[in-house]
Amino acid sequence: MPEIFINGQAIEARDDQTVMEVAREHGHFIPYFCWHPRLSVVGNCRMCLVEVEGRGLDIACNMPVAKGMQVFTNSEEVQAHRKAILQFITLNHPVDCGICDKAGECTLQDYHYEYSGQRSLSHDEKVRSTKFYNLSNRILLDNERCILCLRCTRFTHEVSKSMALGVERRGDISNIRPVEDRPLSEDPYSDNIVDICPVGALLSRQFLHKSRVWFLQPTPSVCPGCARGCTVQVWHRKPEWKLKALDPRQNENIARVTPLDNPAVNGPWICNKGRDLAQVFERARADEPMLKGRPVTVPAALDEARRLIGAARHPVALVSNWGSNEELETFKDKLGEVFHCFVKQDWQAQPGERIEDDLLIRGDKNPNTTRARELFGHAEPDFKDGTDLVLVWGEGFDFARLPPQARIIFLNSYLQPENGHADVFLPVSIQTERHGHYTNFEGTISAFEPCFEKKPGVQHAEDLIRALATPARGHP
Amino acid sequence: MTTPRRPYVRRQYWNEPTMGWWERSYLLEVVRGLAITGGVFLRNMGKWLTGRKGALTAYYPEEIRADYAAGNRGKHILTQRPDGRPQCVACNMCATVCPAQVIEIDAAFDPDDPAHPKYPSRFEIDYSRCVFCGFCVEACPEDAIRMVKETPDLPGFDRDRMWLGKEELLNWQPHADVSKPYPVRPAAEPGRSPDA
Repeated sequence: MPEIFINGQAIEARDDQTVMEVAREHGHFIPYFCWHPRLSVVGNCRMCLVEVEGRGLDIACNMPVAKGMQVFTNSEEVQAHRKAILQFITLNHPVDCGICDKAGECTLQDYHYEYSGQRSLSHDEKVRSTKFYNLSNRILLDNERCILCLRCTRFTHEVSKSMALGVERRGDISNIRPVEDRPLSEDPYSDNIVDICPVGALLSRQFLHKSRVWFLQPTPSVCPGCARGCTVQVWHRKPEWKLKALDPRQNENIARVTPLDNPAVNGPWICNKGRDLAQVFERARADEPMLKGRPVTVPAALDEARRLIGAARHPVALVSNWGSNEELETFKDKLGEVFHCFVKQDWQAQPGERIEDDLLIRGDKNPNTTRARELFGHAEPDFKDGTDLVLVWGEGFDFARLPPQARIIFLNSYLQPENGHADVFLPVSIQTERHGHYTNFEGTISAFEPCFEKKPGVQHAEDLIRALATPARGHP
Repeated sequence: MTTPRRPYVRRQYWNEPTMGWWERSYLLEVVRGLAITGGVFLRNMGKWLTGRKGALTAYYPEEIRADYAAGNRGKHILTQRPDGRPQCVACNMCATVCPAQVIEIDAAFDPDDPAHPKYPSRFEIDYSRCVFCGFCVEACPEDAIRMVKETPDLPGFDRDRMWLGKEELLNWQPHADVSKPYPVRPAAEPGRSPDA
């Protein structure tokens, strides 16, 4: 346990730590571009220079701690060298922040204002390079903005193991390029390199010029794409920047999804499917209760559903494994005695999707199977003779598998042909409109928050379950 | 022990009118006033009937005042490149700085123009809420938005119809701008490339 001093503060460090790690742990900020807590150390940006007494300047990210070392992270010499290094890093940077999607959350921009604030001292023309290089169908590369920190190449080598990116040539004409026989489009984690890029060199095509980041706000949520339940941040437009003339859908659409660093579940990564949550949640929504396809009011639909439940002799419920812990517990509590309950698989793996790997992706493509099975057992849906009422909660169940004589109560969020076939159809809210928790396959519970107002006409499933549990008027 | 409060006496700043018998008679003075009003009315009416302009009142909105000051902050214009496309790069600086939050921009990507890959596909200003502060003009890094001295056509029956879009804001005639020769090129520093 060597004792080191950072800016005069005595710190007990572990033998295997670097000065960068110790400083971060104890709240001494050292700026960095190429270093990343989950990637190997290359030390090529030189931004994390610190002064060590008796040894001069060296980079903190690659400096093992030694007993009694005196480290200064903000001495005058360090400040002067940081300024010089930012001159080098921006030597060929186009400084086109006005049209760069990273502006507002760009490390280079922040450091420039914090540590340099100086115009370029160079009198030479900037080196021109490829502006928008197609890395994959999801990612564009701007080589002029790239500062060659190599975080993206290290990510593909060390984390996603796709080995899809490399560097060609040397000096100021060296470029990040895809490796010929390893397309980045086959890497299911490729979009993480957009997040870890410290500048705006790697651009997500989904988010390209969609919005400036300061018009957006993140809401913590959980990716429902598989049983891993990665914690994510869902970015959507701030209410105070609500658009009034442009397409109003922009106010209630997901702008982008980024990982929320959570060491217990996913670390700082998520897969590309998590980035595409908008494709799941922004399908056409059902917003009208129906009786056999005929639109009715919510109380009328509830009355009819209660009447069916009261009259049924052998009711069966297919419970959604996209329901939150709270909803599932309410169902168990209120209707668990009434219905014979089975857990339904709402979502199956799509063709072409990676089924399972050892990094994050799990084979079960539903978020809350764990809690649903804990409450309702592992049995597959089974309709014994005499099943006369089926409550289907959530999408993804083929109505042809239901017994033909059974009446159907259907709770669903999306506009699907089955809605009209149900005897009672009730529209319910989606994950981005409510609070809740999911239990992932390891038993870790993560919370999600609402991003948007509930759509008019739809109800939270929890409220509907409570309403269904109260006896109907005129029936005991 | 409290001192007794003095009653408030309002200070008099005006002179009492001094009226002679002529003014005191009231009726005669009323007739004189009516004669002045009627004279002006009849003179203007006569000019109007013979097709000339009588009163100095501007018939807004059909008639626009000719004597706006050169620096008056009126309607916004979007400047154009020589090929007619907007100079705007949709950076949203004006929308961000706008204290009334009346500017809304939809950006689009044009991979065929590497010098200007981002351009506004829609650019909307709400004149029902604009405060004409001119911050947008100051914030613009591209000299893409300016304010001309003429006011926009504000009168309307519906608040929601007071939005002006890109098409209206672009239909400005640059050759009429004598004080700002167009296009304005940024002054190149000696020894620096214009791209730096």
